[in-house]
Amino acid sequence: MSTEAIAAEKPKRNYNALFGLTLLALLVLLWVILSVATQSFASGNNISNLLRQGSMIAILAVGQTFVIITGGIDLSVGAVVGFATVIAAMLINAGVPVFLAILITLLVGVAIGLFHGFGIVKMGLPPFIITLATLTSLRGIGLLMTNGNSISINNDAFQEFSRSSFVGVPNLFWMVILVGIPAYIFLHHSRWGRYLFSVGSNAEASRLSGVNVQRTIYMAYTLSGLCAAFVGVLLASRIGIGNPTQAEGWELQAIASSVIGGTSLFGAVGSVHGPLLGAFILATINNGANLLNVNAFWQRIITGVLIIVIVYFDGLRRRGK
Amino acid sequence: MTSTAQELHPAPTLEPGRTILELKGLEKRYPGTHALKPVNLAFKSGEIHAIVGENGAGKSTLIKLLTGVMPRTSGDVIWEGKPEALATPHEAMALGINAVHQEVVLCRHLTVAANMFLGEENSRYGILQQRAMVKDAQKIIDDLGFDLPAHVVLGDLTIGQQQLIAAARATVRGTKFLIFDEPTAYLTRKEADQLFKLIRRLKGEGVTIIYISHRMEEVFELADRVSVLRDGTLVGTRNIAETNDAELVKMMINRSIEQVYHKEHFTPGAMIVEAKNLSGKGFENVSLSVRAGEIVGLYGLIGAGRSEFVTTLYGRHRKSAGQILWEGKPVQVNSEHDAIRLGMALAPESRRDQGLCLNLPVGLNLNLPIYKRISSNMLISGAKEKAEADRQIAGLRIKTPTRSALASSLSGGNQQKIVIGKWLAHGAKLFIFDEPTVGVDVGTKAEIYRLFGALLSKGAGIILISSYLPEVYELADTLHVFRRGKLVATHGFRTANHEDILTQALAEKQEKLGGQK
Ligand SMILES: Nc1ncnc2c1ncn2[C@@H]1O[C@H](COP(=O)(O)OP(=O)(O)OP(=O)(O)O)[C@@H](O)[C@H]1O
Ligand SMILES: [Mg+2]
Repeated sequence: MSTEAIAAEKPKRNYNALFGLTLLALLVLLWVILSVATQSFASGNNISNLLRQGSMIAILAVGQTFVIITGGIDLSVGAVVGFATVIAAMLINAGVPVFLAILITLLVGVAIGLFHGFGIVKMGLPPFIITLATLTSLRGIGLLMTNGNSISINNDAFQEFSRSSFVGVPNLFWMVILVGIPAYIFLHHSRWGRYLFSVGSNAEASRLSGVNVQRTIYMAYTLSGLCAAFVGVLLASRIGIGNPTQAEGWELQAIASSVIGGTSLFGAVGSVHGPLLGAFILATINNGANLLNVNAFWQRIITGVLIIVIVYFDGLRRRGK
Repeated sequence: MTSTAQELHPAPTLEPGRTILELKGLEKRYPGTHALKPVNLAFKSGEIHAIVGENGAGKSTLIKLLTGVMPRTSGDVIWEGKPEALATPHEAMALGINAVHQEVVLCRHLTVAANMFLGEENSRYGILQQRAMVKDAQKIIDDLGFDLPAHVVLGDLTIGQQQLIAAARATVRGTKFLIFDEPTAYLTRKEADQLFKLIRRLKGEGVTIIYISHRMEEVFELADRVSVLRDGTLVGTRNIAETNDAELVKMMINRSIEQVYHKEHFTPGAMIVEAKNLSGKGFENVSLSVRAGEIVGLYGLIGAGRSEFVTTLYGRHRKSAGQILWEGKPVQVNSEHDAIRLGMALAPESRRDQGLCLNLPVGLNLNLPIYKRISSNMLISGAKEKAEADRQIAGLRIKTPTRSALASSLSGGNQQKIVIGKWLAHGAKLFIFDEPTVGVDVGTKAEIYRLFGALLSKGAGIILISSYLPEVYELADTLHVFRRGKLVATHGFRTANHEDILTQALAEKQEKLGGQK
């Protein structure tokens, strides 16, 4: 037997880490190039700005990744972000203590996630469909609630949060760390994280092993909803308004970040650090393109090409191993 | 939870011979199929109880009911004197019942260790103890004498090795009652021997075992008693010492078979294909040829490079060196499409991954290679489509309610018949069958071998890959032995004996193992 196993014994447990390092190298390379090519890129102001831009997509991408690992997809996250800004704004303006307002907004995200789980597990709907349905209807509900207007939030402390920094790093970026570390431990070091992978790899095998497949699916979508609602709170703080049409297309950016970060849309492959890096690579490209005065239309094209190139090379390496 | 899964289940302490599990009127209906008619059967503690029967007889269904994978329609299951619901796999596992299912159902993306403990992870404060689990898994594997690493990703192992892992895994969970559903289907003799050793050892420890197989010699080698299922009905139970091959076959199929290995000899005709010093991923410098009217057998261990060789021939993988001659002329086979156009047909080894569209109807699966022939212009002829499918279903006795049932609802052996059947109507010149009779019952085996004869008589040539020595031995006109990617020996029809062939297939490995230990 040993001979047959030799091919398998080549260590590639570090594949994840290696891929992460490659992405990190890409990110650093982009930063170096941009610092040389433009004067304003390396300024403290711009870097903070970039970190703020990337942070929210990064958090969305983490939740999205949990879902994609199970072999699903969550198209609703952009709409949930917009909806959450409305909920947060309304609650705060109604005089609810900020802490409580945030908690309730997060619970709304959880509820939306549970609803997705219900649709998939109990009603047998494909994830694409149920989350697409939420995407359109949440925007509608939000517009109904606000009569199509933006609600400006009259609480300065709430808005101050997203603008200030702690030890020189924008608070929004600290939020990425706040989400990222528990998410990493959850995904790679807890049994629930393990079940996300096992369900994505082979749901039947998982069930036969005594894994509660349904609960695992509920969990993935709930976490994604929770991340999205959290981002909604951050966005409300950043722009100071509640508006259901905010965060248009963010679901696609989150999926793109996740995929650039090495997540397989077929499920069972993914990490936490990958999507985080992916989100900041995308943010850097946008930021750099702005500074270089590249046409905004080109930015979209570049992003598309980048997705193809990175995923292609990742696939090559995986196959070639 | 800080203990390992092994410690979770205490060792069984049952006196042997007592009834441990009793089925009373156990019954299962699927929509359109009465898979198991009320069955009464008692299993004695510590026995190895074989269950045999035709494809679709209801063997796997019985197992699924016992392990909580499927709910039963009616009847009772009495476990150690108490009726049990057995509604979920978890419940069965808690009682100490577990099965190695017919198809290896594990997670290809996870490591061996993660698979071993899936659902029973060792974690402290919610954090997985990964290193400890790899160590424990390795210990279990080593204890069983399987020379396999625990830290690798499961998908990197061969199907046979995965099967061994599935067995090792089951021993952790099924500490009182273990079921093996055709465990040797994808195993080579050597791996099978390791498995048998494991099964005997478990029996020694007082574990009750159900063993399902289509290979009679295994049943006689292992079992204490044997039960026969036919069409969902229990036909009878025998003590192994008081029965024989012929009686069991007769009970199974209600008629007797004179000769399973039906072999017709034809004078070899024109050369169909010739591989000259062909190398590629997994094999090197292989030269062999196939003539019209000839069966060329490839024997070796799983992983010896036989499947890689034929898939390269078939254009699935790139060759790295050498030449392919088709009817005497050098050809480039760059894709499966090229191969099919030349006149090759390949029935692959892994039916779930390569051979079947599981969630499509049986008829569509059967017709997939011949849609060109049964359509005019762009349109499929509905009548021809139906006729072809029905002809195959009848010809191979595929047990399905209709041609529009989904392939996934068929029993394992019947799925295999589709994999084979879909190429029979294709009219190719060279047929490559990779493990064609895995999980197929005796009656159908005889039928498939007869069809081989029919193909040969029409001037086709066959490459037959099998890890089951008797099959290639009795059927191949030319028998090539592969070992670690090389063609190491060639024999004519029945010119070598089993022992020599086995040694040729294993030799180097044994030296290597011997050197290590
Ligand atoms: N999920 C299902 N839905 C509908 N019918 C099914 C399903 N599973 C099995 N069957 C049918 O039940 C019958 C018994 O199947 P089972 O898998 O128990 O056979 P088996 O004895 O294990 O055969 P094999 O030797 O081929 O594995 C078959 O006719 C099969 O088509
Ligand atoms: Mg079966």
